[in-house]
Amino acid sequence: MIVKTISLLGHKDHGKSTLIGSLLMHTGSATQVRIKEAEAYSKKLHKDFEPAFILDSFAEEREQEMTYDTTRAEIKYKDLAFAFIDVPGHEELIKNMISGASYGEIAVLLVSAKADEGIRDQTKRHLFIARMLGIESLVVAVNKMDLVGYDKKRFDMIKDGLSGFIEKIGFEKTMVSFVPVSAYKGENLVKRSRFMNWYKGKTLIDLIYSGTKKQSGNKTGALRIIVQGFLEGQRDFAVGRVVKGNLSLTGGFCISPGNLPVKIKSIIVKGKKVKKAIIGENVALQFDKKMGSDLRGSVISNKGDCPEARAKVRATIFITKKLDKNSSIRFNGSDIQIKKMSVAEYIDPTTGTRSTNGKMELLSAISADLILSKQIPAEKFDETRELGRFVLYSDGAFAGIGTITGY
Amino acid sequence: MIKQDLTVLEERSIFVLREAKQKFGKVAALWSMGKDSTTMLALARKAFLGKVPFPVIHIDNSIDFPETYEFRQDLAKKWNLDLIVAPSEIKPDLVGSACCGKNKPETLKKVMDEYGFDALIVSIRRDEHGIRAKERYMSPRDKKFRWNYKDQPAELWDDYSSKLDVGGHVRVHPLLDWNEIDIWNYVKRERIPVNPLYFSRNGYRYRSLGCTHCTIHIKSNARTVENIISELETTKIEERSGRSMDKEREYVMQRLRSLGYM
Ligand SMILES: Nc1nc2c(ncn2[C@@H]2O[C@H](COP(=O)(O)OP(=O)(O)OP(=O)(O)O)[C@@H](O)[C@H]2O)c(=O)[nH]1
Ligand SMILES: [Mg+2]
Repeated sequence: MIVKTISLLGHKDHGKSTLIGSLLMHTGSATQVRIKEAEAYSKKLHKDFEPAFILDSFAEEREQEMTYDTTRAEIKYKDLAFAFIDVPGHEELIKNMISGASYGEIAVLLVSAKADEGIRDQTKRHLFIARMLGIESLVVAVNKMDLVGYDKKRFDMIKDGLSGFIEKIGFEKTMVSFVPVSAYKGENLVKRSRFMNWYKGKTLIDLIYSGTKKQSGNKTGALRIIVQGFLEGQRDFAVGRVVKGNLSLTGGFCISPGNLPVKIKSIIVKGKKVKKAIIGENVALQFDKKMGSDLRGSVISNKGDCPEARAKVRATIFITKKLDKNSSIRFNGSDIQIKKMSVAEYIDPTTGTRSTNGKMELLSAISADLILSKQIPAEKFDETRELGRFVLYSDGAFAGIGTITGY
Repeated sequence: MIKQDLTVLEERSIFVLREAKQKFGKVAALWSMGKDSTTMLALARKAFLGKVPFPVIHIDNSIDFPETYEFRQDLAKKWNLDLIVAPSEIKPDLVGSACCGKNKPETLKKVMDEYGFDALIVSIRRDEHGIRAKERYMSPRDKKFRWNYKDQPAELWDDYSSKLDVGGHVRVHPLLDWNEIDIWNYVKRERIPVNPLYFSRNGYRYRSLGCTHCTIHIKSNARTVENIISELETTKIEERSGRSMDKEREYVMQRLRSLGYM
């Protein structure tokens, strides 16, 4: 069965974990043990049943009623399986949110309709991050409709309040849909709600289903193999993964950086000698000679079609920790020092506004030119995702993410 | 139980195993002779051209089932495994989770120190338990084996943690994405040898293997891998229901894992 990964997004307490828990219950996907356990802890904490506890498994998460770290749960629907990725909404846990959301193919954003909740900065920040991560298809679930008398006006208000921003940060209108729900009561999740007859669209699960069909798959194109390194003690045997295009033994190859010509004698996939390898496959490649230099993070392509190696890139960067002198990027397994960073634009992720003057702030974004200590085989994120993204480290700790937009 | 695409799962596991070998100097794996860690070894053989390129550790409290010992001997020979048997003494005053939480990690600590391993491959899966579902593919443990679950490293874009505390190690979880039924489908597809205890005898079989003290068999007539697969397709009972420690007290799994349990 094909599994589609769906990342949840949204401000703390707007109902992400509840929604997944509820979906598990309404589709019969949670085991009795998990449900009973969640029930017992709800009771113990003197609460009505909390579907969120099916996901929130740490003691701290239940006692404080918030998700600390990301987790997954699966649901079967029609011909597909959905793996829902729960993420924490709390600002301080953005590192965990990014980790979880990075595995999402599409996203479901929760916005609470409750009077004192609504659209928040963190709601928009999550959307901004999802876009950066490459998520194209989005379902916005306006939640807690039970608390506002299933009022259409409240739904419209949130829809209107968010639509402009969503388009501004780069989602296409046809890839976004809105649905009013009550995650807690199960309204409009799997069955149409009889309390919201004014809503004529699909249920949440059907919107997710069609959303996954819209998401464009891997683009085909020139061969790109990212090298992980050599097999132990064998400098003529490299291992890596085909991230784009197809590999076949005909013709010559080149390695970037360095534009080194190389001959591949044999391809081994899952222990077997083969003539071809396709996108997504992990390969072992035997060269015609022992290689002198280390190859971790290098890219193998067909001869004459190597990505150019660059020490300067323009990137959009989301920052979660103060950058100090000792900042670096992790690019396909290798750490590369940032020698110089000059900011071209400051981007406010809560409005999408770009301006040439401003201040570098945490949980905010910039577009900047990076001068690196070493050349990397970079391409634009839109061209080849795996060669157009990096993780930012400052003083050895996670400091944000970047996507390459130019050179 | 959701059946996933085996090829997708296989590719991810191979990638993680190869990353572990690239990133860390001294890698070892835990091998309990159960279906998961044996499947992991089959994957390692695919990732590394037919041979398992790291030692496998069996924490042996000498009260495992006899079938398990036989299986260990046979497969170690057949797959040419570099087997480290770490004898673990059962202290009679410890029962249930106290036993699992103390004896095994303490023995493991000794082996890890003695050999200086900096990465340990453990074949846990998310679908086994809500706490295991919170794990990363690679997850650091400090020198006391503690899991700082409140501050796990970021993990995205095929970039896994490589931070090592002095005296600590990194747990590597290549099977995190697999479901129980995927393991069995893969065992079937790849004809992976399995411990005979998984098959029904006199109306009972083991679904999850711990040691004789803590593992209870389930009612089942499944005598073949195919039988097990059809049994799993309909069951509503959890895999680890035969493990006494999971049921004892609240958050016992969380406590055990944070202290170094595998
Ligand atoms: N009445 C009502 N309450 C809801 C609904 N959805 C969620 N809640 C409640 O809102 C609270 C927070 O829900 P969670 O699911 O824990 O929120 P979350 O988005 O996962 O929060 P974080 O994990 O902290 O980011 C819980 O008490 C839920 O019971 C809903 O549709 N209606
Ligand atoms: Mg939550």
